[in-house]
This record gives sequence, C-alpha cells and structure tokens, in this order.
Amino acid sequence: MQTTNLASDQRLQAALLVTPALIIYGVFAIYPMVDVVVLSFQKWNGLDANRQFVGFSNYIGIFTKDPVFWVAFRNTVTWTVLSTIFPPLFGLLLALGLNQRLFARNSLRAIYYLPVIIAPIAVATMWRWMYDPFFGIFNQVLSLLGLQFWIKDWLGARDVALYSAFVAYVWQTVGFSMVLFLAGLQGVDKSLEEAARIDGANRWQRFRFVTLPALRPTITIVLVLSVISSLKAFDIIYGLTGGGPAQSTQMLALWAFTQSMQIFDFGRGSAISTVLLLITLAIVIPYMRWAQKREESSE
Amino acid sequence: MSVRKIEALDNAAIAAPPRDWVLVGLWIALAMVAVLWVAPFVFIIFTSLKSMAAVMGSSAFSPPTDPQISNYVAAWNRGRFETTFTNSAIITVIKVPLGLFISAMAAYALARIEFSGRKVVLVLILFGTMIPFQVMLAPLFTLVNGFGLIDTYPGVILPYLAFGIPYQVFILQSFFRGVPKELTEAARIDGASHFVIFRRIFLPISLPVLAALFILDFVATWNEFAMALVLLQDQGMWTLPLGLSAFQGQFSRDYGQLNAAIVMTVLPAALVYLIFQRYFVSGLTSGAVKG
Repeated sequence: MQTTNLASDQRLQAALLVTPALIIYGVFAIYPMVDVVVLSFQKWNGLDANRQFVGFSNYIGIFTKDPVFWVAFRNTVTWTVLSTIFPPLFGLLLALGLNQRLFARNSLRAIYYLPVIIAPIAVATMWRWMYDPFFGIFNQVLSLLGLQFWIKDWLGARDVALYSAFVAYVWQTVGFSMVLFLAGLQGVDKSLEEAARIDGANRWQRFRFVTLPALRPTITIVLVLSVISSLKAFDIIYGLTGGGPAQSTQMLALWAFTQSMQIFDFGRGSAISTVLLLITLAIVIPYMRWAQKREESSE
Repeated sequence: MSVRKIEALDNAAIAAPPRDWVLVGLWIALAMVAVLWVAPFVFIIFTSLKSMAAVMGSSAFSPPTDPQISNYVAAWNRGRFETTFTNSAIITVIKVPLGLFISAMAAYALARIEFSGRKVVLVLILFGTMIPFQVMLAPLFTLVNGFGLIDTYPGVILPYLAFGIPYQVFILQSFFRGVPKELTEAARIDGASHFVIFRRIFLPISLPVLAALFILDFVATWNEFAMALVLLQDQGMWTLPLGLSAFQGQFSRDYGQLNAAIVMTVLPAALVYLIFQRYFVSGLTSGAVKG
C-alpha cells in the first residue's frame, strides 16, 4: 500500500511537496545567478562551444576601458538615490492624507495606485509620446501657459533626459509606496493618538511623536523595496530612451543586457551584472538580518 | 469645477463631526493631484481616437470630435495583436495557476512539516524575493538555449515560475503558520496524510490569500518585458509588451494608432485591477507590512 507508506513518512511527504518549487527555483533562478558570476571571469560570445577563463580581465575592461560603464554606474546611483527619496516621500504624504476620513478616498486611492499595475514598457511608451517635442502634452501645456522658453526635447537633451525618465518612474511607483504606508498606518495605535490630542498636541506634534515612531518598520521596508526596485529599472529606460541620447541615460542593468545580448560580449555583460548583484546584496543581506531579528522578537 | 467638489464634500460631511478646514484644504489638494495623475490616461485615450490631422491641429486636451475607431483596427492588425494577445494569454493562463499551486505545496511543507534544512530553504526563498532577475538575463538566455527552449512557451514559463515562487511561497507560508494547529491535529490523528490536509483544509481556507496572489501574479506576468525580450526572439512568439515595444519602434509617427496600441495593451490589466481592487491591496500588504 503506497499511500499508507507516504502517510507514515513525514520527511518523504515534505520532500515531495517542496521539490517541484525548489527544482524550478534552483535551476531557473539560483543557477543563472551563480552562472553570471562564473561568466564574468570568462570570455564568451554566446555561441562557441567553450568558454575561456580569463581571470579579472572583464572587470579590468569595464573599470578602465569602458567610459559608458561609469556613466551607467553614476546614473544608477543617481536614480537609486532619487527613488529612495521621492516616491517614498510622496507616497507617505498621500497615505497620510488618504488615511483621513475624506470624501471619495477609496476612488482617490485607486487613481494613485492605477499606474502601478500598468506594464512599465507601456508606461514608457505613454510617456515617450507625452514628451514628444512637437505634439506631446508637456510642451503643449508650456506653450499654453506662455512658457515657450522652457520647451525642450525632454528625452533628447542629454542634461534632462535622465530626470524626464525619472518623472515617469515616480508617476508609476508612488502608488506602491502609498499602499504600503496606508497598511502601516493601520498599525498605528488609535488610542495613543487620541490621548495625545486630549493632551493638547497639535497635528504636527501628533505626527512627529505618535505616528512617525509607529511607522518606523514600514519606512524601513518601503525604503529597502524602493532601492531594490530602482536597481532593477530596465523596462522603463529601455522603452523611453534606450539608454540614449549618447548613452546619457545608460544604466547598469541595461548596459549589462546590451553588452551580452547585443554586442555578444557575455563576459563583460556578466561582469557588469555581477557589480549590480553585489550592490544589491550589500543592501539585501543587512535588511534580511534586520527582518529576521524583528520576526524573532515578535514571536 | 472646484465649487462642485466642495458641495459634494459638504454632502458627505453631514454625518461627520464639525467641519475641519484643514481637511477641506487637504481634500482639494489631493483631488487636484489626482487630476494630474489621470491626465496621462486621458491624453492617451483622446489621442488614440484622433486622426493624424486632428493630432497635429488640435490641442492635446481637446476631446476627439470625430472618433477614429479605425485607429484601433489598424493598430490591431499592424501590431499583430492577435498573435501577441494569444501568446500573452496562453503564458499567463498556464503560469499563474501552476505557479500558485507549486508555491502553495512548498509553503505548506515549510509551515507545517518539521524537516531538516527547513530554515535554510526559507532563507533561500526569502533571498529570492529580493534578487533582481534583470541581472541574469544573459545566463538565463544561455540556460534556456541549452535546453533548446528559446521561442517556446515552456522556455518562458519556467523562468517566470522560478521568479514568482519566492514571493508566493513566502507570503503563503506566513499565512499557513497562522492557521490553528488544532484544525490539522485531528486530521493527523485520523491518519490523513499531509497531501490530504493540504488539499482538503489548507487550500480552501487560504482562498482569499490565493486570490490576492493570483491577481498580483496575473498583472506581473501580463506585464513582464525584460525576460520575454531575451527568451522570445521570434515575432510569432512575442507577448503584448514586446509587441507594443516593436510597434513604437516601427510606427512611432502614427500617433493615433500608437496610442490605440497602448490602450489595448494596458486595458486587460487595468480592468483586472479595477474589478479586483481590494485583493490587490491585501495581497501586497500581507507580505511586506505586518502590523
């Protein structure tokens, strides 16, 4: 009787339940992550049968002979810093506002969240059209307001293209921070706030000394998720500028893709990926430690 | 416009405590920003219904006077939407339920069965929720190519599953851990196997969480671009996001049609969102933020 055997063996059952997930995850997520590090020490065009070991030469190549790498690096840092400030800040403000008992607040929440569920590549296509120098919405509004001297080729000018792309990114991601903050606000003790009000604390004081401390774990989570998702920025740059003009909006993720899949230098592409991976790990690992400690202390 | 809003606010405030002018100001500010937030959608929809001459001759915010449904028909044909739509639908319909089932099984074992290595697996899974797959596009291509699965449905579904599993397992196992032990102890004593308990008890009670994850995953799968870009090279296998990106590359000067293509790409996910709104929020927050 096979079924009774199964029922008696806990470990076998656990193995059967976990194995499908682990195999797929291991083969298609963990293995490529290891392989990207291996590839970064090899020279390969993606087709040849053998991958040649070349030590650190790919890293030396990207660090010393590839000016675009440093542009991409700087842009990724700028982008990450901006995305750690603006979407969470706007998200917090919106959440604080929409946490009040306001008319139609659910509809307002829905509106702010709507861009989050749209494909980033579609957001890119939308905004590319909105930034159109001739018929796009931005330049039309500017000329309507008599501000013709501000009219620009928003995605075509090297000094503003990155920031134009970032505005589209903010539009898309603010709703996500907002929802996380709204959830965090549910955990703020209402009676504490009431007590502060009775003690004569004004709105700012109540926010500063009651709400904000209670939101601390949420703030950490939102910031970490913002950093991680900003490092992943790929679709939106690919669709808006493709890294141009003249590589001025190039990012690490996109540059790694370009090196591997378009220039067929898998070694260099993987070296760039590995740099990005290390940056991500430097943020993820401390965060995981923090999260685990928090979980253990709450149990 | 704003007068009407304030009146509406007045009506709503009847039951509420004495009027708070700070809240009124706050509401007006929030509503004005919300108008800015929907403006892009309005602009896209208006443009999608305009002829070339109307796009060039009228203001961006003027509604189309002579709606050009033909833009949609033309974009549908030129953008090969029939193909890309079918591919997206097939991939999503297979990937989402399959992924949830596999994740739920693993989550059950991790939450309810004591076995060695459980902690390691959990950490590995949690780790996976945060690693960007954008970093591994090239090795993913190499791997899938090695299996001979480039330009096939399994070739894209398997990586999609792999990158969906961590988040889903993580959420589900934390939900399963909250299920009272008494509920399953009785069944265990009666000799039920874990498979039976999983199927008869855990799957039914976790329907709300599964629904939330289903919707989130539906949207994520429907929208995925970077992996599809690498793994689906043949036009006949393209998904909607790939089709839209190519459409923009080829026909970016056909403003009306381009915007019709955007609307058609975005609409399914937007509808799913508007219909299942409340699940979204619960799904997002159950994992990330706990009280």
